[in-house]
Parts: sequence; structure tokens; C-alpha cells
Amino acid sequence: MTEFGQHDRSLEELFADAALPAIDDAGVGVSEIDAFYFGNAMGGMTENETHLAPALATHLGMQGIPCQRFEDACATSSNAFKHAVEAVEAGRHDIVLVGGVERCTPETGLDTGVMTRVFASASHGQYEQPTGLTFPGVFALLTKRHMHEYGTTEAQLAEIAVKNHSHGQYNPHAHFGRDATVEDVLESPIVADPFHLMDCCPFSDGASAVVVAAPDRAESFSSTPVDVTGIGHRTDAVPLADKADLTETRAARQASTRAYKQANITADAVDFAEVHDCFTGAEVLATEALGLLKDGKGGPAAAAGRTRVDGEIPVNPSGGLKAKGHPIGATGTAQIVELTTQLRGDAGKRQIGDASTALAHNLGGDAATTIVTVMEAHA
Amino acid sequence: MSEPTDADKGPGHVKYEDWREHLETGTLLGVQCQSCGAVSATPKRACSGCGSREMAAIELPERGTVYSETTINVPPEDFDGTYQVGVVGLGETRLLARLRGAVDIGETVMFTGTIVEGDGPGPVFESAE
Repeated sequence: MTEFGQHDRSLEELFADAALPAIDDAGVGVSEIDAFYFGNAMGGMTENETHLAPALATHLGMQGIPCQRFEDACATSSNAFKHAVEAVEAGRHDIVLVGGVERCTPETGLDTGVMTRVFASASHGQYEQPTGLTFPGVFALLTKRHMHEYGTTEAQLAEIAVKNHSHGQYNPHAHFGRDATVEDVLESPIVADPFHLMDCCPFSDGASAVVVAAPDRAESFSSTPVDVTGIGHRTDAVPLADKADLTETRAARQASTRAYKQANITADAVDFAEVHDCFTGAEVLATEALGLLKDGKGGPAAAAGRTRVDGEIPVNPSGGLKAKGHPIGATGTAQIVELTTQLRGDAGKRQIGDASTALAHNLGGDAATTIVTVMEAHA
Repeated sequence: MSEPTDADKGPGHVKYEDWREHLETGTLLGVQCQSCGAVSATPKRACSGCGSREMAAIELPERGTVYSETTINVPPEDFDGTYQVGVVGLGETRLLARLRGAVDIGETVMFTGTIVEGDGPGPVFESAE
């Protein structure tokens, strides 16, 4: 993956900087790749570029193979990954390239108001957008209900931002990372209450890519493969007022149940998780929905340090979306990159000791799309 | 493809245009499944509970309870200032709306009109306490 941050180059050039190292890491030739599963959420709106998959394949010397582009808001490249894994599992392809790219910073020439509107396009056009709902607003609605039901506090949310910023400083690809304090978070401007600016992930540019291969082909690769042992993908109602419950994030519960069943594990077996912390409150909802923490305990557990990289259930060792950054279409496969790096034992100062089972949770829109992936170190 | 006939549309088929016109004239239009009775605050062509396509128009209550709310300080393009939005419980269904009067979760609110800042109107609720 590329560093997440601000990039002033084109989507195909940015994506090549993630894809070619991934291909080289696997040690495969471009001619051996027999399909391309690609994610980009907003290029049509932000860069006036659509039909990107064959253009990017051409730029990488892969023209001619089947290429497909996915769009599922922030879960875009996880959905590409799911389809790639299922196609390989079904024997339709042997070696595929999966990845995503997005530019969200002012490098596109678009300011905060325009980008806030572009992000809001993932909310309902007739029944949500006319109220002026924003994406910080969407997750604020979910989080304030959680605060009402369970007593989660702004200070507990701030602890999550502090943790993920702390983790991010050890990730060379992260957009941000530093030692911050709860006071820093609570004193930053309010975007949509209860979220302060530092509760929110940044607008980022970046790209990520992985190579998915059939087990027999992966054995011949030059690098250590890791195993994908479960993927669950579920959706919930849109508009969000139609959801039966705003705090359960039902799609995440159903997707993780499916992924755990496929992997033949329970939540207790997960050594660490990368979860979709677009806002601090989203990490609380995710850790509970995934069964890593009991309902209502996401905030207190974070405040007690239980989800730090050295805690009992580390969450977002990469820094998460909060510190690593969130280039929408690149986020899903960037989580897969972090799982791979950790399971190989290559994560340096943020390495989780003896990590053998890991989980990625990537959501799209108002959590209506959720994809949960379980990966394990290669036996 | 042939044009859909009235029979294809089912009885009482409610469209966005109907919902919008009612909103603009001061009523909240929802739909109710004629098979299982489930209610939705916004039009659907089929019931999320049972899949039935017999979704008939109903008038929703104008008094509801705030289920969740937030105040947005950073608006999208075409919107100005700081404003409150929330999910309002209306009987057995819920609706996203603009809120006025700094209302809290659990507070009773009344439907009082619409705002038009982006594309199309949005419902407005105010404190009834």
C-alpha cells in the first residue's frame, strides 16, 4: 500500500505504487495474474473518472484480463476482495490482483463543503440528504443513541482517538500518528456532537493492493502467504431510520457470525482486529457487534486500555481509519494489508506478539454494508 | 419492455412524488403493508417484513419521540450554519428529520413544516413540551 496522506498524482499512478509492490511481494509475473478486482467509490464525482478498472490494468501491463470495479461506499475494496476470494475458491481464477484507490484531500481541487456533499451521496437521496445529514452526522446519530442506552461518554470516545493516534505513529504508511491526550480531543472543534474534529478520520488519498491466490499456487510464492479462512457480508436497511436498532449495527453481527462459522472459530479466538473507526463511536459499535466486547462495554474497555496494541484484545494496531487515514476505496484492502503484515510478524513496533488469528471489519455508508474477514497465519 | 400497467403497480402504490407533495402540504405520508401490517415512514414498493407489494398509503402521526439526534456544525455544500437533525419515532416507524429547539432523546416533538435547502424538502419537527 502507499502511504495514506496527500498525493498529487493521478489515480492510475497512485494505484501502481500500491499494486506493483504487492505483485513483487508475491513474486508473481504480471502475466500470471488472471483477473483484477478493483475498488473506487467516488472517482466519477471527484475526478470525473469512471471505467477505471481496465485503465488501471492497462497502466500495469495487465490489459486483456477480466477487470471489474466495485462501489459500496467505504466498504468498496472489501467487497472487491470478497468477490476475488470467492472466485479463486470456486476455481474460476488462480491468481488475482485486488485493490483500491481514492483521493479525498484538496489535491482533487475540491474543498471541505464539496467533499462533505460527495460523502453525503452515500445517504438516501430523497429521505436523508434534504435534511442536511452528513456522514459525521450519521455516526453521531448511532453513537448518541449508544450513549443514551449504555452511558458511553465523550471522554471514552476520546480515548479511542488517543489510542489510534498512538498506534499510528508506529505505522510508516499512516496519515497521522502522535501522542495525543483526551484533552486534545475534547478541545478540538465539534463537527457533529458528540464528535470533535479529533474523533473523525481525515480526508486521505491513497491506494492499497493484495494478491489472492489458490493455496497450491501460493505455496510457490516468494513471500509467506497467509490464509483467508472466513468472509461474511451482510447489509442493513437504508435509510437509517428504517434500521430496527441504531446501536447494534446488525449487518456487522450477521457478517461476523458468518465469518466465524466459516473459519470455525468464535470471537474469543481473535488475537487482534482492524475495525472501521471512521469516527470513534464507530469503533465502539464495531467491537461490540463483533463479539470482542460485551454490548455497552466498548467505551469503558477502550478507556481502560484493553484495546491498545499491548492490551488483551488489540483493536486497530495500524492506527485505524482515524490515524492511518481513510481513502475510501482503498480502506478495505488496506485492512487486509495490515492483517497480512501482522500475521507474518512484520509489523515492527506495532507488532502484536504471536498473532495467529485476525479479523477485519469494513463498513460502507451508515453501516448498511458490512464485510468481516477472518485471516490466519499459514500453518 | 412494455409500460407498467396499473395492475403492476398494485393498489395504493405510493411514490416519492406523493410523499413529497403531502410533506409540502403539511401531512406525513407513510405506507402500510396490506398483508402483514408493517408500517414504513417512506414509500417502498415491497414490504421489508414479508415482501408483499400491496403497500397502501397511510397518514403518519404528527407527534413523535426523538430516538436520536445530533447537531451538525460542518454542513455540506448548499447548507448553511449549525442545525440539528434526528430520528423521530412515529408510532411503530421512524423518520429522519430536521429538529428545532435543541431537543433531547426521549423528548416529544411535533411535525411543523419543511425545510428546502438541498434537493427537495425535508420534514421539520419542533419540541411539543
